[in-house]
Amino acid sequence: MKDDAFSKLHPAVNVLFFIGAICFGVLLQHPVYLLAGIFASGVYYFLLGGRKEIKNLLLMIPLFIFITLFNPIVNTRGVTVLFTYFDRPYTLEALIYGVAVAATFVLMILWFGCYGKVLTGDKVTCLFGNLAPSLSLLLVMVFRMIPNLLQKAKQIIGVRSSIGKGTAGKSSIKDKLGSGMTVIGVLTSWALEGSITTSDSMRSRGYGATKRTSFMVYRMTKTDWVLTLIMLTLLGIVVFFAANGGMNAEFLPERNITPINGFNVIGFIAYLGYLMIPTILNVKEVIQWNISESKI
Amino acid sequence: MEHFRIENLSFYYPTSKDKKSLDNVSLKIEKGEYIVLCGKSGSGKTTLLRHLKTVLTPHGKRTGEILFNGVSLNDTDNREQSSKIGYVMQNPDDQIVTDKVWHELAFGLESLGCGQKTMRSRVAEMACYFGIQDWFHRDVAVLSGGQKQLLNLASIMAMQPEVLILDEPTSQLDPIAASDFLNTVRKINTELGTTVIITEHRLEDIFPYADRAIVMDSGRIIADDTPRNIGKLLYEQNNPMFTAMPTPVRVFYNADGDGDCPLTVREGRAWLNKEFEIKPQIAEIPCKNIDDDIENPALSLKELWFRYEKDTPDILRGVSLEIPKGSISAIVGGNGAGKSTTLKAICGICKPYRGRIKVFGKPVNKFKSGELFKNCVSMLPQDPKSLFVKSKVSDELAEMTKDKNKINEVTETCQITDLMNNHPYDLSGGEQQRAALAKVLLTEPKILLLDEPTKGMDSFFKETFATILNKLKSQGITILMVSHDVEFCAKYADRVSMFFDGQILTTETPQNFFGSNSFYTTAANRMSKHVFKNAVTAENVVELYRKNKGGTV
Repeated sequence: MKDDAFSKLHPAVNVLFFIGAICFGVLLQHPVYLLAGIFASGVYYFLLGGRKEIKNLLLMIPLFIFITLFNPIVNTRGVTVLFTYFDRPYTLEALIYGVAVAATFVLMILWFGCYGKVLTGDKVTCLFGNLAPSLSLLLVMVFRMIPNLLQKAKQIIGVRSSIGKGTAGKSSIKDKLGSGMTVIGVLTSWALEGSITTSDSMRSRGYGATKRTSFMVYRMTKTDWVLTLIMLTLLGIVVFFAANGGMNAEFLPERNITPINGFNVIGFIAYLGYLMIPTILNVKEVIQWNISESKI
Repeated sequence: MEHFRIENLSFYYPTSKDKKSLDNVSLKIEKGEYIVLCGKSGSGKTTLLRHLKTVLTPHGKRTGEILFNGVSLNDTDNREQSSKIGYVMQNPDDQIVTDKVWHELAFGLESLGCGQKTMRSRVAEMACYFGIQDWFHRDVAVLSGGQKQLLNLASIMAMQPEVLILDEPTSQLDPIAASDFLNTVRKINTELGTTVIITEHRLEDIFPYADRAIVMDSGRIIADDTPRNIGKLLYEQNNPMFTAMPTPVRVFYNADGDGDCPLTVREGRAWLNKEFEIKPQIAEIPCKNIDDDIENPALSLKELWFRYEKDTPDILRGVSLEIPKGSISAIVGGNGAGKSTTLKAICGICKPYRGRIKVFGKPVNKFKSGELFKNCVSMLPQDPKSLFVKSKVSDELAEMTKDKNKINEVTETCQITDLMNNHPYDLSGGEQQRAALAKVLLTEPKILLLDEPTKGMDSFFKETFATILNKLKSQGITILMVSHDVEFCAKYADRVSMFFDGQILTTETPQNFFGSNSFYTTAANRMSKHVFKNAVTAENVVELYRKNKGGTV
C-alpha cells in the first residue's frame, strides 16, 4: 500500500515506534505477548505490501514450525521428556521454548520488513542530517552512486558487444574474466572523471564554505506530537508492568508463565494498543475518507 | 554598474607553458546583461568562464585581474561567491550530488548554512518557478536529461545568484529540451534581471535575444559586439565560426542580401517577402522521389515488437524498415520514442519478442555468436566514452586490430592522426566522437549504425564529421543514423524516416520529408517555405535566391 497513513508521519515518530516494537519483541518472551506481536506486525505487513505479500506471510509458517521442532534437538533441558533418541531427551519444555524462539524470530522478520518499507533511505538520512550532516551527505551520495554505476556497467557491456568485444563468442572463463575486468576498469575511470565534475559542482554551490545545515522535508505536526505522547505513555505502562513481573515467562527447566489476569490485563492492552497504532491509523483514515466521501 | 571587469587576463596551463590559453583578455560585463560567448572548441571559452569563480579556477600561471562588483574576485569570500555567482556545467548527470530532487534543490542552501524556514520558502519558490512540483519527491535517477539540467539550474537559482554562468548547458540535451532550457534562462534574465553569461553551440535559440556576443579564438577575444554586427564581422573575416551562426544570418550573407540582417526565422521570412514581392520564377529545388522497392536491402526490419519489461508498455510497435546498400539513412523523431532501441535491437542488445531482422538477406539469429560484428554490423554509441577502455587513443585502436596499415588508414579517414598519444578523456566532444568512430571502423563494418552522432559537437566539427561519413559512403558502407539533429539530417542524409509511436511512419528524401512538414523541419525551411518549395538547407535557399536574382538582374 503506497499511501500508508503511518508512513506519512514524521520519520522520527516512525523510528520511535519501531524501536519500541522491536525492543519489546525481543525482551518479552511471554507467549501471549508474542502472539499479539505477530498479529499486529502481520496485519501491518499485509497493509503495507498488499496481496503480493501474502506469499511471504505464508512462508513464515514452515519457518515457524522448523525452528520450533529444531530447538529441542540442540536444547535438551527441561523436565518432561517426551521421547529419547540416540540417548538424547526431547523435552516438552524445550519444545515450548522453541515455540517462543520461533515466534520471536518471525516477529523480528515481520517488524524489520515493515521497517524497510516505512523508513526509506531518504528518511533515514534526513534523520541523520541534523546529527551528522556530512555523514548523511556521504550516505546520500552512496545511495545515488550505486544504481548509477550499475546502469553504466550495463551500457558499457552492451556497447562492447555491439563492436564484437562482448562475451558472447567467448567460452573460456579467462576471457570472460578479462572482459569483466575491462568493464570494471572503464567504470572506475568514468566514475573518477564524473566525481571531478561532482566535486566542482559541490564547491561551486558553497560546500565547505560554512557549517552545513540539513533541510528537513518532514515537519513535526500536531498529529506527530500527539502520537509521540500516546506512544510514550503506552510504553511507560508496558515498562511498569514488565518491571513488576506481570509479563514474565520462564520455560526452562520448568514452565513458569505469569497468567494474564487482574491488573496485568492493563499491561497487555497497552502493549497491543501500541503495536496496533499503524493499523489503527490506516483504518481511521479509510473510515474518515468514506465519511467525507459520503458527504460529497 | 559593472558586474564583472576583467583586465588584461592571461593564463597558461601548467602542461603547455608556451601556449597561452587566455591571451590578454579584457572585458566588462554590466549588471543584467545577457552575453553569449562563442568560439570553436578549445578557443578558451571554458577557461575564461571558470576564471569567474575562484573555486573553479584552473591551476596555472596567471596575470591580470578580475573584479566582481568592484572588488577583486580573490578578496571576495567563498560564501559570497557561492551564493552570488551561479555556475551550470555541461554534464547534467555528474553535477547532481544527492539522490532526491528536493534534496538537490536544497543542497546549496544547506551548504550556506541557511535555517529551515528560509530553506523551506526558497525551495518551494524554486520548485514552483521551474515547474518542479510534480517531480519534487522523485529520485533523480528517473529524470530525463532535460529535467536534470533544469534541476541543476533551479538548485543554483535557489541561492538567488546575481550572475548565472552557463558552460554549454544544453550540449547533452535533445533539441526540444535544449530549447526549453534556454527559454528558462532567458526568462530568468528578463524577469529577474540576473546577469547571464553563456556559451553554446546552438546559437539559433539564444543569438537573437543576447545583448552582446563575444567571439573567442585561441584565447583571445576577436569580436565583442551586438549579435547583428557579429554576423557581419565573421562573414567579412571569412571566419570558420560563421558556420555556427543561425540559419537566417548565414542565408542572408551567403546570398549577398541587402538591408538589415535577419536574426530569427520571423525576420528571415519578412526579409524574403520583401525580396520576392513578385513570385520567384524558379521556386523549387528539384528532387527525386524515393524508390519504395529496394532490391537486396542491406538491412531489413520487419514488424519488430519490443518491451523492456514484462509489464511495461511496448517501445517498438511493429517497426518495419528497409535500408538500401551504400546510402546514408536517418531516423528522426521525438525523445524516448524508441529510435535508439531500434538500433539496439539490430545489434542484439535488445531482443524483440516478435518480428524479423535481416542483414544482407540473412536473419540475424542465423549469424553465429560474434560473427555479426565482424566485417558486418557495428554501432557507434551515443556516449563515445563508453567505448574507451585504454589510456591512449593509439592503444584503443590497437585493441581492435594488430594490422598497422588498417589503423593508419582509419586514423587518416577520421582525422585523428594528431590525437593518437592523448588520453581519450582529454579530447573534446567532437574529437572523442571521431576517435570512437575510428575504433568502430576497425571492425570493418559494411553497415554502420550511429546513435546521435552529432550530440555535443559544434557546427565546425559537424562539417568535418559529415565529410568523413560521405567518404565512408563512397567506400560502399551503408550508414544508418538516429538523430535529433534535423539540420544535419536534412543536409547529409539520403533518406529520412520519421519515427513515431513505436513505428516508422514515413520514409522520404530530406527535401520531400522536411519540405512537407511545417513544424518538424529545419530553420531554413521554416524561413523560406512561403517563397520556395523544398528548400530545406541554408545552401538550398541561397541557391534558389541566387538563381532568381541572377535571372532577374
